Amino acid sequence: MRYIVGYTADERGHDAVCLAVALARRQGASLDLVLVTPQHSPYAGIHQRGKGFESLLTDQLQEWMDQGLALVPDDVPARGVIVRAESNAEGLIRAAEDNEASLIVIGASSRGLANRFSIGNVARSLLHASPVPVALAPKSYRRTDPVTRMTCAVGNRAGADDVVSVAVASAQRRGLPLRLVSLVALDAGHSDPEGMEDAANRRLAEAASALAAGGRVSVETAHGSSIEEAIEALAWDEGEVLLVGSSRLAQHMRIFLGSTANKILRTLTIPMVVVPRTYSTPGTTTGPGSHTTEADA
Amino acid sequence: MSIEETTREGTGLSRKGLDDGTVGLLGAVVIGVSCVAPAYTLTAALGPTVAEVGVNLPAIFLVGFIPMLLVALGYRELNSAMPDSGTTFTWATRAFGPWVGWMGGWGLIAATVIVLSNLAAVAVDFFYLMLAQVLDNPGIADLTLNLPVNIATTLVFIALACYVSYRGMETTKAVQYVLVTFQVVVLAWFAIAAFVHVANGTAFDATPISAEWFNPFAVGSFSAFAAGVSLSIFIYWGWDVTLTMNEETRNPEKTPGRAGALTVVVIVVIYLTVALATLSFAGVGEGELGAGNPDNQESIFAALAGPVMGPFAILMSIAVLSSSAASLQSTFVSPARTLLAMGHYKALPKGYGRISPQHKSPSYATIAAAIAAAGFYVFTRLVSENALWDTITALGMMICFYYGITALACVWYFRAQAFSSARNVLFRFLAPLLGGVILLVMFFKTANDSMDPAYGSGSELFGVGMVFILGIGVILLGAVLMLIWWRINPAFFRQEVIVQGSAPRP
Repeated sequence: MRYIVGYTADERGHDAVCLAVALARRQGASLDLVLVTPQHSPYAGIHQRGKGFESLLTDQLQEWMDQGLALVPDDVPARGVIVRAESNAEGLIRAAEDNEASLIVIGASSRGLANRFSIGNVARSLLHASPVPVALAPKSYRRTDPVTRMTCAVGNRAGADDVVSVAVASAQRRGLPLRLVSLVALDAGHSDPEGMEDAANRRLAEAASALAAGGRVSVETAHGSSIEEAIEALAWDEGEVLLVGSSRLAQHMRIFLGSTANKILRTLTIPMVVVPRTYSTPGTTTGPGSHTTEADA
Repeated sequence: MSIEETTREGTGLSRKGLDDGTVGLLGAVVIGVSCVAPAYTLTAALGPTVAEVGVNLPAIFLVGFIPMLLVALGYRELNSAMPDSGTTFTWATRAFGPWVGWMGGWGLIAATVIVLSNLAAVAVDFFYLMLAQVLDNPGIADLTLNLPVNIATTLVFIALACYVSYRGMETTKAVQYVLVTFQVVVLAWFAIAAFVHVANGTAFDATPISAEWFNPFAVGSFSAFAAGVSLSIFIYWGWDVTLTMNEETRNPEKTPGRAGALTVVVIVVIYLTVALATLSFAGVGEGELGAGNPDNQESIFAALAGPVMGPFAILMSIAVLSSSAASLQSTFVSPARTLLAMGHYKALPKGYGRISPQHKSPSYATIAAAIAAAGFYVFTRLVSENALWDTITALGMMICFYYGITALACVWYFRAQAFSSARNVLFRFLAPLLGGVILLVMFFKTANDSMDPAYGSGSELFGVGMVFILGIGVILLGAVLMLIWWRINPAFFRQEVIVQGSAPRP
């Protein structure tokens, strides 16, 4: 199992490396620290051709890569990869595809002063296009101990089953407790008929027990006047990771962050994994017995 | 743990196909024309050159290419022997040692910083002109004459271009093709429209074309000739990029040479056509629309596009605006990379060698270049009556200075190999020697002449010509900064980083 880590030689890159280590431990996953370097277009209209600059840049990239690899503890195998691409997001996706990686880990913080999770540019474009799950490390994430619990937030929209099955498989593989949080109450809006919530919760519980017979699965319902409030009202472990599905608007096997997931992202201070729609299809038939290799998040 | 470098340029790994990464002959010509930016160059340089050489403008445009070609050949030799981010700085340091090298680097930085401020100012002129044409309100075009508005807008343009360059955003192939085609079409339109006016007798000051215009020896004085040539160095600036393109081209053996030749033909044809059209339409007199009118010198198309092209003058505004905006953004790369190299080699404080972890661009150096360009512009605009004119003249001088040093660095660095083959005699000795000497002669002549307060636009400070202050002042400022840095950290000057040397005997 291989994780792609979108590494930059700054705080954000450090966040990503820490989260990748936390996720890789107990999984035997190995890390590819990927540094994306811009591919200069000959049509840039620049007087000075870039060969000399490239050699300075290459030295700098090597130095950064050494620093990045030094952040990874010895028990986690890691290597450095330098990829040329027009954008960081494009380079990371290509690295993931070429190396058949099962997850892309990035630091999501922007330099914004407001929220811990106010999302950076790379994260934004990656979330619109990644074919594999994307793990987002919040600002100043420095925890490298293994993950302690997984939470999966689902609504009653199409694709909910997919993300649940990914969550179940990945909690099972790590031997972690899984908490399913229903966002149905919020999804439906305030004028929500009473019965719908229960029905949805029942469905979640059923799905969970069918998928993870014997696993430690709990079900909770998020309440609040807004999604931000509901998420803050829940109790979160320090070593917890949240899984959410991507928007229904996303193309098949591509992530698109829905408005709900986007709001969660801005509220939450724990890492979040966004799973592409219909990732690891056929999701619902992936029983507990059949070990999934695709759903490695 | 291991480090593995995966390069996907032009290898089988590329998913985008080889075609995207390499450039054919047409592409190379487009790149060359784009670097020269003819619409911007003509509007900025036509007026000041006419002021110096009058109707002999076509002759100067033809002659001006010769030193450019000679120097570019030497530049190409150095670039293939010692590819380096610092170019002139590094090469001159290797050939002549740290002091000359530092000043060569300073000359390059100063030239590009000056052109940045001029590009931004021209973009601002045409920005307001275009707004006036769009809104059909001529009053808006005069906003550019309002000092605070003009300075503020120019600073905004510089900041935007700096941001784009810092972020590493680049013009794409499609955009470049559109920009170049558009410029060429609009300039052709202007020329044809001007000739039609001449034929119909509706020209401002119809002047018949004469063979004498092409005679460089008809230029009145050596001073005028030197000034004209140093200005025409500026108009071909950027052309040399075609020669140094190797790996990017599909056929590195032949494409760069052919592209260089074809580009220069295209450029010369454009320049001569537009120059002849302008001269025969407007004459060189100082009348309202005359090319010799000091009010029209700053930006000839701003004055002439309306009368010549009528309602379609807005196309010229768009062409100049887009050409200067694109150049503004890409020109930032040159001083930033030289500053970066100088920081890296300890010829400047370490901060200049910093590369942005996020965008992989020279971060500190790019911002420093923007601040310098902004500062230079504000200074010039405040003390000069005709800032654009003076900056262009000072720029020509500065290009002569650092290109001259580069060319002589080529001769000196390759001295052991100079006579080892006929090819070396030509490319590593004769061409750069001749080019370098011509440029440095032009430089000293222009510098000497420009002390006269009447030189250029006629602006002066303490009784000394503005162009001299801008040109020599900037060079002296560099010398002072060099001495200060030598006092702070003499490592570079003790040759602890780059050692003076020469190419080995073959």
